[in-house]
Amino acid sequence: MNEKSSKKSVKGKIVLWLLILLGVYFAFLPNRFASSSVLDFAKGEPEAPTDSFDLEGFSRIPVLRGGRVKPIDSVARNTLLVLRNKRTALDDAGNKIPAINWFAEVLFNPDAGDRLKSFLIDHDQVLGLLGKKLSVDGKFFSYQDLEPHLSEIDSTAREAGKVEQEKRDSFDQNIIELYRSVLLYRKIKTTLSPPDPQLAPEMAKQLQVAEVLFDPENDKDLTAEFARFRELTAELSSRPGDIRMESADFAKVVFFLDHYSRMNLWSEFFAIPPESDDPKKQWRTIGESLVGKEPLDSQEKQKMDPSRFAITLQQLVSMKPEALKVKIRDIRENQKMDPTALFASQYAEAIKLRREVDPVLGLYENLKASYANDDFSTFNSTVAELRKVGTERAGEDASTLEFEKIYNGFEPFYRSSIAYVLIFLIAGVSWLAATYSTTLGRKGDTARLLRNAAYILTAIVLLSHTFGLAGRMYIEGRPPVTNLYSSALFIGWGAVLLCFFTEKYLRLGVASAMGSLVGFGSLVIAHNLSLDSSLNPTGDTMEMMRAVLDSNFWLATHVVIITIGYSTTFLAGFLGIAYVCHKFVLSLFGGSAKYGSKLMRSEKDAQRILGAMIYGITCFSLFFSLVGTVLGGIWADQSWGRFWGWDAKENGALLIVIWNAILLHARWSGIARIRGISSIAIFGNVVTAWSWFGTNMLGVGLHSYGFMDKAFNPLMYFILSQMIFIGMAYLPSFRSKPVVEASA
Amino acid sequence: MPKEKQKKKRGSLGERRKKFSWLVPLASINLTLTLLSLSMILIFVATLEQVRIGIRGALAEYFESMFGIWYYPEQFWGGEFLNAIPIPIPGGYLLGGLLIVNLTAAYITRFQWTGKKMGIQLIHLGIIMLLVGQLATQAMQEESRMQINKGDSSNYIERFHGVELAFSDVTDPATEKVVTIPQQILEDGGTIRTSDLPFKIKIKHFGVNCDFTVTPEGSKRSGLVRDVNRGVGQTANLSVSLKDEDFSSEGLNFGYLVFELFDGTNSLGTWLSIAHPGGNHWWKESPKLSDFAFQPIRHQGKLWGVTLRSEREYLPYSIELLDVENEFYQGTEIPFNFESDVVLNMEGKQSRRALVYMNTPLRHDGKTFYQYQMNAAANYTVFQVIRNPSWLIPYIACVLVSIGLLWQFSFHLIRFLRKNSSSAQPA
Repeated sequence: MNEKSSKKSVKGKIVLWLLILLGVYFAFLPNRFASSSVLDFAKGEPEAPTDSFDLEGFSRIPVLRGGRVKPIDSVARNTLLVLRNKRTALDDAGNKIPAINWFAEVLFNPDAGDRLKSFLIDHDQVLGLLGKKLSVDGKFFSYQDLEPHLSEIDSTAREAGKVEQEKRDSFDQNIIELYRSVLLYRKIKTTLSPPDPQLAPEMAKQLQVAEVLFDPENDKDLTAEFARFRELTAELSSRPGDIRMESADFAKVVFFLDHYSRMNLWSEFFAIPPESDDPKKQWRTIGESLVGKEPLDSQEKQKMDPSRFAITLQQLVSMKPEALKVKIRDIRENQKMDPTALFASQYAEAIKLRREVDPVLGLYENLKASYANDDFSTFNSTVAELRKVGTERAGEDASTLEFEKIYNGFEPFYRSSIAYVLIFLIAGVSWLAATYSTTLGRKGDTARLLRNAAYILTAIVLLSHTFGLAGRMYIEGRPPVTNLYSSALFIGWGAVLLCFFTEKYLRLGVASAMGSLVGFGSLVIAHNLSLDSSLNPTGDTMEMMRAVLDSNFWLATHVVIITIGYSTTFLAGFLGIAYVCHKFVLSLFGGSAKYGSKLMRSEKDAQRILGAMIYGITCFSLFFSLVGTVLGGIWADQSWGRFWGWDAKENGALLIVIWNAILLHARWSGIARIRGISSIAIFGNVVTAWSWFGTNMLGVGLHSYGFMDKAFNPLMYFILSQMIFIGMAYLPSFRSKPVVEASA
Repeated sequence: MPKEKQKKKRGSLGERRKKFSWLVPLASINLTLTLLSLSMILIFVATLEQVRIGIRGALAEYFESMFGIWYYPEQFWGGEFLNAIPIPIPGGYLLGGLLIVNLTAAYITRFQWTGKKMGIQLIHLGIIMLLVGQLATQAMQEESRMQINKGDSSNYIERFHGVELAFSDVTDPATEKVVTIPQQILEDGGTIRTSDLPFKIKIKHFGVNCDFTVTPEGSKRSGLVRDVNRGVGQTANLSVSLKDEDFSSEGLNFGYLVFELFDGTNSLGTWLSIAHPGGNHWWKESPKLSDFAFQPIRHQGKLWGVTLRSEREYLPYSIELLDVENEFYQGTEIPFNFESDVVLNMEGKQSRRALVYMNTPLRHDGKTFYQYQMNAAANYTVFQVIRNPSWLIPYIACVLVSIGLLWQFSFHLIRFLRKNSSSAQPA
């Protein structure tokens, strides 16, 4: 007898450890869901290969996009996320191409890159416009597939763009999205390979620029052209008298200045790191590196006064470099409304002050050439050189680069969401086991084992979820919640954490199951938010904060606390759902069956405990939502001058506070018992969902920066489902059971 | 509820209940729950209505009223039929007032004034303060703006809403005299006489918003401006059509006034004046209408200027704008800083420098100046200026509520943890 039970416990231990191992595997170890694992953080970077391109190294080159210095890897992934809603591309055979390989092809070998399937088009009418069928051609397309239809896409999108945003139908939205995607792809393609000026030969002859322009026969790469342009400007700056409209040399310089300035429009990211003496740490595109940034939109050039422009420019160029610098700053400060002076200042800077071609331009040219020639060693050594120069010149800003690259591949939230499913399954099986053993009158060792497994697994997943949040905080240097996307991550995290502690005291599997459900749900929502092009146009979920939000103190207090309020209110609601489902299942199987009485006894316990849990968690919700709302009021008083302005988002938060207060008062006064409390808690889900998403959809008020309308239907379905649960709580069959309603 | 049992211990609650027995029904928790549920409906409806009538409209209709009438939106499901039914929604003043009564009554007749329940008392006291504070704020708060050009200084603020008719006697620039007639009087209409002005003003038409267009020369004006025979209205040949006030937050309301001046019974002419919602200096941008900021009238050897403008308040101090800065994150259109560098020249001879930027307003003399708009290219900044004497109340209320909540929930939590750790691990 004794031997038997010990054998059983050994078996149990093995199962427990296997489950835990499975959880660790999903959450941390190398697996097929993510391209890097926890080991990669420890190992550091692998040695550069000698027989292939060092794309690992390439992916770590620092660039600036969306206001933030990041590794090329992030740019590649985020771009693909926008284009294809995935972090991979497809080749002709349907094999997955990792983002960085795709990016290298697009940048350096555009002919091959154009053949990779990088675009997602799944709207039947948009497909029809391109003459494609979903069933025949699939939904993934290459740039080559789209190229013949570019003008159609362009004109249709323009038509759609004329429709007011609220009135656009799904075709309009999809065609506009496709247009933006194509534009993004083309900008990426031309960022490092500037489009050539498309000059007719006679025109080139007339301007006498042919000898300066890039000549593929004799020149190694574009740097030769850049160097010749520099010679031109050096010559001109020594003869400022030649700066007049009639001068041929001046016309040449102006031609190239315009050409390089135009290139800025066709750059998606900033590849040239700040110059070492630049206090503002300004990153540059190739065009900006050559001729500086245009002070105004190019169209403003038409408003210039040509003769005054030439005179001003001549004066500027004849100044000493130091004096010129001061003068340029003065113009940009005090003559902001004068396009003539502003453009003259840019031209003067380009002619007189920018004397050398930045070596980084040459390095990128090298990269391009060696990639095209399959010259591994040159490519790899250039990558190393670029990284060295880049990180040196970027300074502080590049310190999180290495981490970000591995973090990208680690996909902590994807891993966590899979592990949450596992926990939910284990907890679900534990209930089945418990019901089974209760009906047979056994002790229920299996159920206990599974509950413990779910509990321990929650801790493990919580670690990877926490790591995901902490990683974002480290990269951004910000509190955890900065936008709608991160609020979803944080809501899930808060709910799981609270469930973990609840489960610590009440080992019933309920908190584990509901926690994993909320965790999984919120991660899925977060993933969908990251795909929303209106919320996240660059595909980077770590975007910069607008001025009014740029306050770590308030983000860390108001935003975090109010988000915990959302999270706990959702949790209470899901426990309410757990109660309804529990009762529903029991009333289906319990009442008349042989084992009914045994099951009903366990129900009383469940009611008592679930009631207590809902109550306890709602206390937390009220606390956090009230304090968060009030802190929000104080922030509003600080930045907008009023404590409360009846703004849509503020009202949403207030609704949550009031609803939680109603739940607690209804319980204290004894008006609502367990069923009423559960229903109120479930409706709390509706209120919170409204406050979280619904208020943004109205598109009014100061908080409407998270505008989105795609979520409208999901929100309605969610509300409907909650109403069904509330309806289930009040099903008449519940009442007719010979069970005394237990008092909470 | 365990209150009855503890009556003996202190007796005070029982005594209070007897003494204020008429308050007991008002303190009912059912009333609390009803009021809270109704306020859910109020807030939800008023939020939805912001789409239609803007924040200011929703404020006036629902929050700053006893009740509002709501029509189910037509574009929603079933809207064609339901839209016709007017649904009364209890307003903010009604619910807020009743909640204050309910809470106060509960305070007297239901709460135990003991240390153990102190959390509850603090929370509800804080909530009463929040409600009272909000009522006070909505009654007393004034919102204005101040626009300053770089290098200039300004000593007056203008209300966002509300206009006034201003006559200024500029015959001698050293002793400029200004007579203003507030909107309320303009709204009443009729003929206005004042000893400060040498003429009578007959209000012909006044409205808070209008559409105006320059009609081609030679064509006849009609309607409101038919009689206009002097000033910009006549030279620019403006025609004006009525428009409802736009309550949305971005709404622009051009107030207009058609008035006739009389010297005794002798008509001096009929003028049109339109107030620019951004302040009358904006008229400078449209050459034909630039005189709306100052329409000259010569009368009895004196030069008067007349204009309908946003209601002004002159300050005993002035603010000078040294510089404006507007910075963006590199390569994006996301601003990360708006900043105005100003000098505050105070009532005495003192002055101090201040930086006004997001989350950091300038506070002086009961007024707060917030960075509101700016145009770095055109070198001007606009502050939102707020005077809210009750601004401190919410801060105190917050502290009370937070302490109360912490107090109460730590009691509950400790009890919950104790109870469950002793009976943990149920099978």
